[in-house]
Amino acid sequence: MVCMRNRRSTNHSSQNNTNDTPQAEAKNSDALKGSLKESLDHIQASLGHSTDIVIREISIGAEKECQIAILYTDGLADPKMISDNIMMVIADVTGSPIGENPEQSRSFDSHALWEQIAAFNQEIQTIHDYPELFHSLLSGDTILLMDGLDQGMAAGTRGWKDRGVTETSAENVVRGPREAFSESLRTNTALIRRKIKDPNLWMETKQIGRITQTDVAIMYINGIVNDKIVEEVRARLQRIDVDSILESGYIEEFIQDKTLTPFPTVYNTERPDVVAAELLEGKIAIIVDGTPFVLIVPALFVSFLHAAEDYYQRADISSFLRILRYLSISISLLGPSLYIAVTTFHQEMLPTQLLFGLAGQREQIPFPAFVEAVFMEVTFEILREAGVRLPKNIGSAISIVGTLVIGQAAVEAGIISPAMVIVVSITAISSFVVPSFNMSIAFRMLRFPLMALAASFGLYGIFVGIIALMLHLCSLRSFGVPYLSPFAPLIPEGQKDTILRLPHWLLTKRPRLVNQNDMTRKISSPPRKSRE
Amino acid sequence: MNRRKKILAMILLQTVIALLLSSCWNRRELNELAIAVGAGVDWVDNQYRLSVQVAIPGQVTSKRGASTQAPATLYTAEGDTIFEAARRMTQISPRKIYFSHLRIFLMDEAMAREGVAKVLDLLARDHEFRPDFYLAITKGTTAEEALKIMTPMETIPANKLFNSLQISDKSWSSSMVVTLDELINGITSTGKHPVLTGLMVTGDKKIGEDKKNVEDIYTPSQLQYSGLAVFKFDKLIGWLNEKDSRGYRLIRGDVKSSVGYVSCRNKGKVVLETLRTDTKLKGRLVDSRPELDIKVSLEGNIGSVECSGLDLTEPSTIRQLEVDMEEKVTKILEDVIDKVQTEHKVDIFGFGEAFHRSHPKTWKRIEQEWDDRYFTSLVTHVSVDYKIRGTGTTNDSFLNDLKE
Repeated sequence: MVCMRNRRSTNHSSQNNTNDTPQAEAKNSDALKGSLKESLDHIQASLGHSTDIVIREISIGAEKECQIAILYTDGLADPKMISDNIMMVIADVTGSPIGENPEQSRSFDSHALWEQIAAFNQEIQTIHDYPELFHSLLSGDTILLMDGLDQGMAAGTRGWKDRGVTETSAENVVRGPREAFSESLRTNTALIRRKIKDPNLWMETKQIGRITQTDVAIMYINGIVNDKIVEEVRARLQRIDVDSILESGYIEEFIQDKTLTPFPTVYNTERPDVVAAELLEGKIAIIVDGTPFVLIVPALFVSFLHAAEDYYQRADISSFLRILRYLSISISLLGPSLYIAVTTFHQEMLPTQLLFGLAGQREQIPFPAFVEAVFMEVTFEILREAGVRLPKNIGSAISIVGTLVIGQAAVEAGIISPAMVIVVSITAISSFVVPSFNMSIAFRMLRFPLMALAASFGLYGIFVGIIALMLHLCSLRSFGVPYLSPFAPLIPEGQKDTILRLPHWLLTKRPRLVNQNDMTRKISSPPRKSRE
Repeated sequence: MNRRKKILAMILLQTVIALLLSSCWNRRELNELAIAVGAGVDWVDNQYRLSVQVAIPGQVTSKRGASTQAPATLYTAEGDTIFEAARRMTQISPRKIYFSHLRIFLMDEAMAREGVAKVLDLLARDHEFRPDFYLAITKGTTAEEALKIMTPMETIPANKLFNSLQISDKSWSSSMVVTLDELINGITSTGKHPVLTGLMVTGDKKIGEDKKNVEDIYTPSQLQYSGLAVFKFDKLIGWLNEKDSRGYRLIRGDVKSSVGYVSCRNKGKVVLETLRTDTKLKGRLVDSRPELDIKVSLEGNIGSVECSGLDLTEPSTIRQLEVDMEEKVTKILEDVIDKVQTEHKVDIFGFGEAFHRSHPKTWKRIEQEWDDRYFTSLVTHVSVDYKIRGTGTTNDSFLNDLKE
């Protein structure tokens, strides 16, 4: 009650906190009330007296007439920031917060206290109701409540143990930045900002997930991005109504254009440099708190076959590597099915010596080539999956079992022909060349229907399968952008950066269709030879 | 709208089912095939005798030392037609015989004299034959016997036949690669008659069929190409020996590489390795009678010098060698032309075709009588140009320094 007096003298607020009108109460039952004790009781009851919620009640003022409470979540809030930026300020303003020397305590101005705390903290938010309070509290902010005041203050003291910026684990490069995103949204946005220091790099944040209240940020470069796509992203995010968002994969499934496809239509990466490059092409990044994987839309088929390093190595090296990658993705898709088709339907296509070799190996094999291939492919997938989930130190055991049991024993037992082992191994290795995991999985899954087609119709079946696959790919869109562009529709300008990567001084245009705004990347000329 | 969709779905469904029901009609696993590598047809008692050499892949690729089984096996069947004989073979073969990888197709002399066209139609018509196998005529033996001979190095005899024909075609030029389409072209053309390489079995055939043939370093019985069989249309009428065969191939202009020698002034020989050859046939009309210019240009290196007193650094010496060689080649060419004109009386050189090219209108008039009237008395003008391009890795032979 005494705090009230001080407050009144500051003309801070005309609202009378003690006498809330019944109408107002009815309107907003979640609103904070003036009584500190009531508020704290309500908070504790709502949080189920959770033990990691710290509530400190302090009496301040000359006669300890004013009660304030400091609330924070242990572990999420940074204790050093609380003591430096809040406790010390309170001590400064009120003399002594603990009140051991009553003489030193002086009467204070609650408004001044508020302002002082606001000045010392980077993030300050006024809190009017409980949902806001809980969100701030559980995000790691420190809440200040004062008896007799119907609003609180949230000071940004988020600071928890996180992994920090570590090296990339999924997308490694020989040359290029090594840093990867971490689980903290703020760190991640900072990593992107550090690459693009432009006022046009805009960011919007919202909470998605009824229970998890996960922070989701979308980032884009205003002026380059296609506003319609931004609008579309906002709308799709708005539509998500779900309890929890624990990883960006949740968002991906909700916002992708077509669900019935093995191909990913949303790109994800853990590399800040990739995100920066994509933003500069006019794409939009969706950053989700709690995961190092940032989503990028719209995603094109070619992006999944491009690695970050393509832009860091010289153009000829990159082009060579890209051709290699397109080749290996074809092998990973068609390897076993071509083998099946040629050995069971089109033996006349084989060179004679090779035919003898293959036929000699198959002499004692009891199964048709198709069964053999499926057996080996499935075995390989099992091995691969086991290797991913296993702790690192047991991983080597799997490879021993894999090579010995599958590779050698199966051949010697006469179940599998050595040629099939070769085909499956080449296919497996090729599928790992694809830089993006979800794209390589897509191709690995499609291998099986193609094998079945090859086993029943030979090369004819394979071509029917490829045509069907092409039609499907052509029908895909990612946020309205044709998935196969710039191949279909064919954009000549876009070919400079698809299968080949021409030198940077020739890449003067941003990809069409993705962004319509500012098409010109730069006006530049090739490096000149010196006159001397 | 909905109805149309339903109809469309039904059509789609039926298409898919039709595809599935057709099953894998042409599916053959590799271990369900008997891969034929060599085949031969003999004419025995007015019947065809078809012999097929089938490779046994397990034996070909086995690494565990010498096994007791031969790398190939031979199936023989007789029939009024070849197709029948081939199907009759299933009575003895455990698997269906698969002809796509046929390497060599042999016919014996009796068959060739009877006429090969009837045989060739099957080979050209059946989808399973890939027309990249070679054809040859067995000389002094039957095709069946030739296919029984065991060969060292190339464990499958048909492979040996294929490879050695290919190699000798390229670097010795007396035998000649002829594929099915070339042979059929030769048979049907009016301006050129076909030839086929001859194949002989040397040594004792009985040992040749036995495993003993490949057990020792010395191979008692060999399969050897020798000379060319001359055909009139599809019927064999005679043979060219090795020397004539080389002359013939030079006129045909398809010699890739060969070896020849000229005699030195003092005793000995100089061997020349021919590296490139080019032949131009040009017809002309002299007093309304056809005549033919044959221009052969050859390039070669000195392969070896087997006489002393030859100064190879002197351009005049080289020129002398060239002139000697030109004379010699001219002689060879004239000999073979003369021999064919008098003995065989069929235009195997393609002179008619050459004349056709240069004088298409006159050709139409004389086409029918070419073989009988014009070819035998055709006047040919042979001119040979030999160029020595190199002397190998040395200049003068050390034989010059040899003190005797």
